[in-house]
Amino acid sequence: MKIPPFKELNAPDSLGYWTNKKTGEKYGGQYISPLLIPNLKKVEVGFQKAMKNKKFLTNLEEQLVNHIGIVTPILRSKELEDIAGGEKKIGKIFLKRTDLHHDSSHKPVSAFSSVYFAKHILKAKKIITETGASMNARAVASACAKLGLECEVHIGAVDAEKVSLNKDITELYGAKIIECHDSTKTLLPAMAAALRSWQSDPSAMYVVGSCCGPHPYPLMVRTFASIIGRIAKKQMQELTGKLPSTVFAVCGGGSNLSAISYPYYNDKKVNIFGIESAGKGISSGAHAATITGKAPIGILLGARSNVLMNEDGQINESHTEASGLDFSGTGPEICYMASTGKIKFRATTDKEAQETFLMMCRKTGILPAIEACYVIHAALKEIKRRKNPRENHLIHLCGSGESNVGRMLKYKRDNE
Amino acid sequence: MNKTFQKILAKAKSENRSCFVAFVTGMDPDYESSKKILIELSKYCDCIEIGVSFNTSTSDSSIIMSANDRAIKSGAKTGKIFQLIKEVKSEVKSDTAFVTMGYLNQIHVYGIDNYINDCKKSGVDGCIVVDSNNEAPEDDQIFKGLTKNNMAYIKLIAPTNDDNYIKQSLKKSSSWLYIVSYAGVTGSKEVNLDNVKKLSKMIRKQSKIPIGVGFGIKNYDDVKKVSKLADLVVCGSSIVEKIKEGSQKGLTNQNLAQFVGEYVKTLSEGVKH
Repeated sequence: MKIPPFKELNAPDSLGYWTNKKTGEKYGGQYISPLLIPNLKKVEVGFQKAMKNKKFLTNLEEQLVNHIGIVTPILRSKELEDIAGGEKKIGKIFLKRTDLHHDSSHKPVSAFSSVYFAKHILKAKKIITETGASMNARAVASACAKLGLECEVHIGAVDAEKVSLNKDITELYGAKIIECHDSTKTLLPAMAAALRSWQSDPSAMYVVGSCCGPHPYPLMVRTFASIIGRIAKKQMQELTGKLPSTVFAVCGGGSNLSAISYPYYNDKKVNIFGIESAGKGISSGAHAATITGKAPIGILLGARSNVLMNEDGQINESHTEASGLDFSGTGPEICYMASTGKIKFRATTDKEAQETFLMMCRKTGILPAIEACYVIHAALKEIKRRKNPRENHLIHLCGSGESNVGRMLKYKRDNE
Repeated sequence: MNKTFQKILAKAKSENRSCFVAFVTGMDPDYESSKKILIELSKYCDCIEIGVSFNTSTSDSSIIMSANDRAIKSGAKTGKIFQLIKEVKSEVKSDTAFVTMGYLNQIHVYGIDNYINDCKKSGVDGCIVVDSNNEAPEDDQIFKGLTKNNMAYIKLIAPTNDDNYIKQSLKKSSSWLYIVSYAGVTGSKEVNLDNVKKLSKMIRKQSKIPIGVGFGIKNYDDVKKVSKLADLVVCGSSIVEKIKEGSQKGLTNQNLAQFVGEYVKTLSEGVKH
């Protein structure tokens, strides 16, 4: 398959801000200690160089195709169509099977690309990263093993407990795993710990697991990840002969939402939906729904974006069953796209996602990542509401659920 | 230059020594003890940096992070820290300068203008905002607001920064410039005098601004060594550790203040040339 080349559709300004022209609100930027400014500059200059380097891009793409297996199928799911009311009522539902990637999620795409970039452009010898669901850790560790770089992973102690399979695989790939016991012991303090570690070791390169962090990370991650969407857009065109009416993806930090939806940013007829975790329900306050929960603008981990925080600016803990969504902020470009209305947001509760997980197993024979079940639930609800037989719907099935098996089996047995 | 800094720098010069700066997290371990600590430390310090706790800071070691957690648990909020400084200032007779040190998110949430007004009202002499990038729009607003109200804006310079970054920072620095002695988080390594010499040289080419040095200055000998190179010597993590040690011994209020004060007194004696 000839993969369509990357085109910049939504460039930030030179300081890394996306500015909403109507409200004047800025998203992104580079809010970080002076120690890290030179590191970030090096990444920024290197990234610009890399995107113009045809040899680098061609070699990277070859690796993504053959090592990560990036040309995954798009599966038409008659089972989900039937659950939503049948093709004649709601149209066709397609699943982008990113769960079939090497290391079973969308994460290896930006992770491998970032490590490949670190090795070939920045000539770094060591990678520092953080992780929530350990999907990113596993992906970065795998890339480091293949490319011969040292790998240091920071993980919240609570997350480490929750997703031991991915953590174990990360360890087998040779990464040094550092458990973070600060604050909430989840992704957020792990990310702060990784940034602190980078300050102490400026010759290393920091790889972020989502399109968050200081400029140029949000730009770089979505640019690398968008190859998923570029392939999917072409596949959808070949399968249906037109643009999809809807594109659905789950949103924690926003990398998998960017990955699939970015190529559609300028397509006015395409409705993009980002799905957040409503945890125990938005009104309970125990959720990870930054946008749906109307979180204010704050400055978190180097960028200006919507942030779950209290009235004094202390970052609030997010609550969700899905470690991959357990984050108190959302990437700046996604927040900007939400502010312009191009990406609409919905939220799914943990309970709804867990029920969707069991349904997917029983009715489709697919073991989805719990993260993907938030989007499938919300997509089915929206598709039913739209009730348009002429529509094609694209859902990002962003990961496989092996690491959720223990908890989900317990859920199933407890609730039967 | 801010008047308090003018006075303390002139006084130190006349006494042939550097200024001694202590860092403590505001309201660690609680409001009353912190108040007593600040009053006690003002006897030995030319300047006190008061940390405004942020639970997701990206430049602090676990020592300061734990102090932040203790302070937040005891009810620390930006407004409360201003109240604390105001009360301390009213009881302190010396010319000790008080500086807030924190992260931009708190200031953004409090409102930049509101923050500066409350700094002014509570007698703050200057501010350090760790993650406020020179090029960020918020940084301009903070710099202008502080300058207009005769308060110092103290910028951090790291060993990894180049001439251009130093130049940018000098444009927005007033009263003094803060050199971070090594690449790393607070209190995690030994003070690096080679870095300090190199950075001082780079700064001196462009400006005569007083230079403060911090990060890794943990004992009397460190203070002594750094004071030969700097106008202000900053100690943080080891003092914060002392507060923790005293608290764990069950000390509170004046007892805790005296326990920490004795330690700081010894440290501060290192600034004599």
